[in-house]
Amino acid sequence: MNLPESIPVKDIGRDSLYEQAADTYGSSIDRLARAYEFDPDLRRDLLQEIHFQLWRSFEHFDHRCSLRTWIFRVAHNTAAGYVMRQRRTKDKLVSLETIEAMPGNQNEWVATGTKDLERLSKLIQRLKPLDRQIIVSYLEGMDAGSIGDLTGLSRNNISIKIHRIKKILRCWFGQGDTHAR
Amino acid sequence: MPDKLPLNDLQSIWQNQPTEPLKMSADTFLERARQRQSRSRFEARLSMSVGLACALFFAWTFTQTHGTLAQMGWVLFSLWGVYAAFHAYKWIRPNSQPQSAAVSTCLEFYRGELERRRDHLQHRWWRSGLPVCILGMIMVIQGTGARNASPNPFMNAIPFLGVLLLWAIAFFFVKKKLGRENLQQEIEELRAFERERTHSS
Repeated sequence: MNLPESIPVKDIGRDSLYEQAADTYGSSIDRLARAYEFDPDLRRDLLQEIHFQLWRSFEHFDHRCSLRTWIFRVAHNTAAGYVMRQRRTKDKLVSLETIEAMPGNQNEWVATGTKDLERLSKLIQRLKPLDRQIIVSYLEGMDAGSIGDLTGLSRNNISIKIHRIKKILRCWFGQGDTHAR
Repeated sequence: MPDKLPLNDLQSIWQNQPTEPLKMSADTFLERARQRQSRSRFEARLSMSVGLACALFFAWTFTQTHGTLAQMGWVLFSLWGVYAAFHAYKWIRPNSQPQSAAVSTCLEFYRGELERRRDHLQHRWWRSGLPVCILGMIMVIQGTGARNASPNPFMNAIPFLGVLLLWAIAFFFVKKKLGRENLQQEIEELRAFERERTHSS
């Protein structure tokens, strides 16, 4: 599924912009919230906060970037701010590099028999905000250029990170499923 | 399920997960904005009231106390109350996140958040006004003891001050220093990413 690059921005105000954004990117924003909060009730709160910040931000939308980039920046940054305020998790988050270097993580999942999506969500929720933004964008099917615009990382760094993400995903999901079920 | 799960499959598993897209009305947003504003205002007023009430109480105690040293101690306490009220108000006031969240890239926003947290840890000792509070406490103890003709009033406060010192060392200097160093390291890494982006564009 490819996300549309932009939605037609007519002569529209904040409310209409928000409505179009919610219609076009509502599912993506919901998945993004799932990447940041596992608990359904807390996730609902986070999702509402993201929508609220989006609506507020449209007052300042200045077309300096595409509407899609704007929406995902606001959504990711709101969620990152939320994660950083969570005392229960903020000091336990790790980088992609740390995950990559962790030995035996496959076995952990095999033993619990966790389903793929749950596994994926748990992997994502262990990551620091910036790496989390990259992996979520990758899973959403965004290309390196778009991820670079969103995150502010260079294309080279994005390529390295994506390479690392693929390696981790292969390691975590490449084997062991048949043993688990 | 095959032995090897292609990465494209992971992308489609992610993208095809059941979602509950949300759509809120403009009225709900306006109500939320109003609630948030009134809550911020209430918290700011409450913190200011508590600080000022403390300041007034200490000022009243000042008028009831004899002896210059103890009186100066209560004045310091009173000033500390005013200072705490001001800082509580400053930290509680609503921030300008929506604008910066949209204009900044995720990298800039994340670095900004880390820097804010580092600064918060760095100046906590002074921002809380604890040096003034401790100085005031010592002056009150010493002044009251001298007034009561105690042979060595300061000695009575040594156990308390000892515990306070241990807490300060453990909490402020060791724990916070480690936290600051980790934050600073992460900030430097993010700055390096930003420099690379600037050079490559």
